[in-house]
Amino acid sequence: MRKHIYRTLLAGDLLSWLGVAGAILAVILVLMLMVGAPVGEALQGFWSGAFGGRRYAYLMTTLSRAAIIIGMAVSVLLSFRAGLFNIGGEGQLVAGGLVAALTAILLPGPPLLVLAVSVLAAMLAGALWALLAGVLQLYVGVPLLVGSLLLNYPARYIASYLVAHPFRDVPSGMLQSHLVPQETWLPYFPGTRLDIGILFIAAASIFAVIYSHATLHGYHARLNGLSPDFARAVGLPVKKLALQTLAMSGAIAGLVGAIAVFGIHHRYIDGMLVQPLYAWTGIIAVLLVGMIPWAVPLSGFFFAAVETGAAGMERAAAVPKEIALVIQAVIILFVASRVSGALSVSAERKGADDA
Amino acid sequence: MRAVLSGITVRFGDLVAVNNVSLTIEPGEIHAVVGENGAGKTTLMNALFGLVQPEAGKILLDGNERHWASPQEAIAAGLGMVHQHFMLQDSMTVLENIVLTAEPVGRLGFVDFARARRLLTARAKAHGITLPLDRRVDSLSVGEKQVVEILKLLYRDSRLLILDEPTSVLTPREKERLFGVLKSFRDEGRAVVLITHKLDEVMESADRVSVMRGGHLVSSGPLSATSREEIARQIVGGGLPAPRQRTARVAGDTVLSVERLEVAGRGRTVGPLSFSVRAGEIVGIAGVSGNGQAELIAALTGLRRPLSGSISLLGRPIEALDVEARRRAGMSYIPEDRQRVGLALAASISENANAGRDDRTAFTRGAFLDRKAMARFARMLIERYRIRAAGPSVPAATLSGGNKQKLVVGRELERGTPLIIAENPTWGVDIGAIDFIHGELLRLRGEGHALLLVSSELDEILALSDRILVMFDGRFAGEVSGAEADPERIGSMMTSGAAELLPEVA
Repeated sequence: MRKHIYRTLLAGDLLSWLGVAGAILAVILVLMLMVGAPVGEALQGFWSGAFGGRRYAYLMTTLSRAAIIIGMAVSVLLSFRAGLFNIGGEGQLVAGGLVAALTAILLPGPPLLVLAVSVLAAMLAGALWALLAGVLQLYVGVPLLVGSLLLNYPARYIASYLVAHPFRDVPSGMLQSHLVPQETWLPYFPGTRLDIGILFIAAASIFAVIYSHATLHGYHARLNGLSPDFARAVGLPVKKLALQTLAMSGAIAGLVGAIAVFGIHHRYIDGMLVQPLYAWTGIIAVLLVGMIPWAVPLSGFFFAAVETGAAGMERAAAVPKEIALVIQAVIILFVASRVSGALSVSAERKGADDA
Repeated sequence: MRAVLSGITVRFGDLVAVNNVSLTIEPGEIHAVVGENGAGKTTLMNALFGLVQPEAGKILLDGNERHWASPQEAIAAGLGMVHQHFMLQDSMTVLENIVLTAEPVGRLGFVDFARARRLLTARAKAHGITLPLDRRVDSLSVGEKQVVEILKLLYRDSRLLILDEPTSVLTPREKERLFGVLKSFRDEGRAVVLITHKLDEVMESADRVSVMRGGHLVSSGPLSATSREEIARQIVGGGLPAPRQRTARVAGDTVLSVERLEVAGRGRTVGPLSFSVRAGEIVGIAGVSGNGQAELIAALTGLRRPLSGSISLLGRPIEALDVEARRRAGMSYIPEDRQRVGLALAASISENANAGRDDRTAFTRGAFLDRKAMARFARMLIERYRIRAAGPSVPAATLSGGNKQKLVVGRELERGTPLIIAENPTWGVDIGAIDFIHGELLRLRGEGHALLLVSSELDEILALSDRILVMFDGRFAGEVSGAEADPERIGSMMTSGAAELLPEVA
């Protein structure tokens, strides 16, 4: 029985994946029967919308979206595994994107250097924004869950203000900054519309796996996440660990923001990082696989595919795109029940010793 | 009420916790159920009380077969249980706690507290118990809380009372009075089941004794038909370990010195406390838990900042250092709560074993972990401290209580620091593990380490300590040399007000 508990607690086992797939399929079918859409066409549209298209154009869209979601998931993963409920990924992402765009617009110099400096500045901005939440928790007593969440709003509105007023590209008529110099744009993979930003995300994912399993810092952070009282009693520097982990987490979110700017939008557009709910999707993606580092990319890709697939379904069979939102909601529900189930199991286990 | 358990089997996954046990509990008797931790005593009684569903077997009350869907049904049928961990609402008064879920309801639907109070006062008086019914439970001592639990059963007029390790938190004087009350219950014709692993209590109060080992019932019969040695042998299933002999030893230099230390506690300040521990001696801090021991330990280990006073380790002031620096300065700590503080249960044995190690270079290569070296170290601990484990990579949660504790003890003792602080190091572990851990502590004493032992088990303090400090209400009530320690005298020093609540029946 114990072994089984560990499987359900720690790993996304096969059964729960089948459960997700089954639930989603059932919901899609029911919804489509309700709106009277042709089921076969709709599913076909879903599939090609996520993975098909001419020369796999839609698959590239899915990958591009997956890159951002996975990046945010990796950022959240590092915090969550260390027991830090940093749900301020959105603010850190916005801070990164904004700083990346502004740096690239304002900084003169050779393009490659500008790009490098901008990306580093974005990572620094994300890290500082996350650290702010950490400092609020450790030294002011604002719980991280609350502090990191609330810090999303200033980040969002500061960014809105800056691109609406001082740095607005007025002639464009939109709430957006000027374009970053074209020479700094991330190149596409040959013959596709997929930028190489995904390579940065792949690197970040690999880093997360190695960091979590093979480094001293990752080991200590995880012990702190599993049992803060234990970590304190064996003398781990818990405050330092928390701040360092948050900084790392924020830096990755900042990197994701920079990739969105240099790879996809080439400028900062108001709401471009907020409206698609990248940060929140990232959190769900991490929870779905029970915080297992190697599974996070798969989970992030899965969520991206659900979103682009739904768009394809709309094109092919006129099934409203809101269906995708319903699907996502179903998945969130599933995750919620899974997480609370795991928590109650661990609470039970706590009482089980020495009985 | 006569309760007959017949062929009860309880299974938790692969583990057979109770294996085909048949037992009769007679009215008007105190029936002791004894055995090591994990022998299945509590599980058996939980089955009788409806807390766990037996896989097989029957429960008969006065000849009628009964099935419980929940403990509520068992309570309604006249059973009552006092659990090892109290089930009380701290922010409610004694009276509110006692009537909870069995409230007498007046005509208008309000709780008729006056009626409850009359009933309770009468019943309590019959057994000579007094307790202020209007005090909030969180203002009570542990001993007083136990009285509340017993009053709960009395209020519900339970005919069969089960008490799970009721004396682990009581002073000797409180114990005596508790047994007085239990005998008075018995004389009224109630059946009393006493789950315990302390033989003294069995010999002193039981009429009938059942011994369990490894889920099986080893024996069951009147106390007069057996002997203390016989029971002890049945509990451990073989010969008993010889009692530990402490060799006389002259203590060396002062290792830990504490001067006028004051720590914030719950609702009061603990201290000022001054004492020292020298090399090659075990200083025991006796006392009922909750009298400031936890606060003292937290201040010594660096987990809580003291209000004032100084702490020095090997002559070096450490009160400003954090936990890590204090450990490096030469301190190890075996915490009381192995579940939360001693171990990270979801992490593997190896990960637990290597946490807090000083020689980080021995299991790292730069920023990276050397998993093989970590596993090697864990295997060494498993072997040296005789931890029964499937291997270094299984989660710590899979270990039994005693083996978890050995893992904590091993990790801390292996550091070989001049000072070792042990907080209830054998709490809730079986006799074999207790003996082993005591042996290790004495070995380190012999090697010249300084040990500070905090324990609410007076026997443990008496068996190990060179000097004994008795703590009561946040201060030291006195100091006794280990050689001339008299349990009675120490008991009276650690006596709290709770002893006055139960009558003197003996």
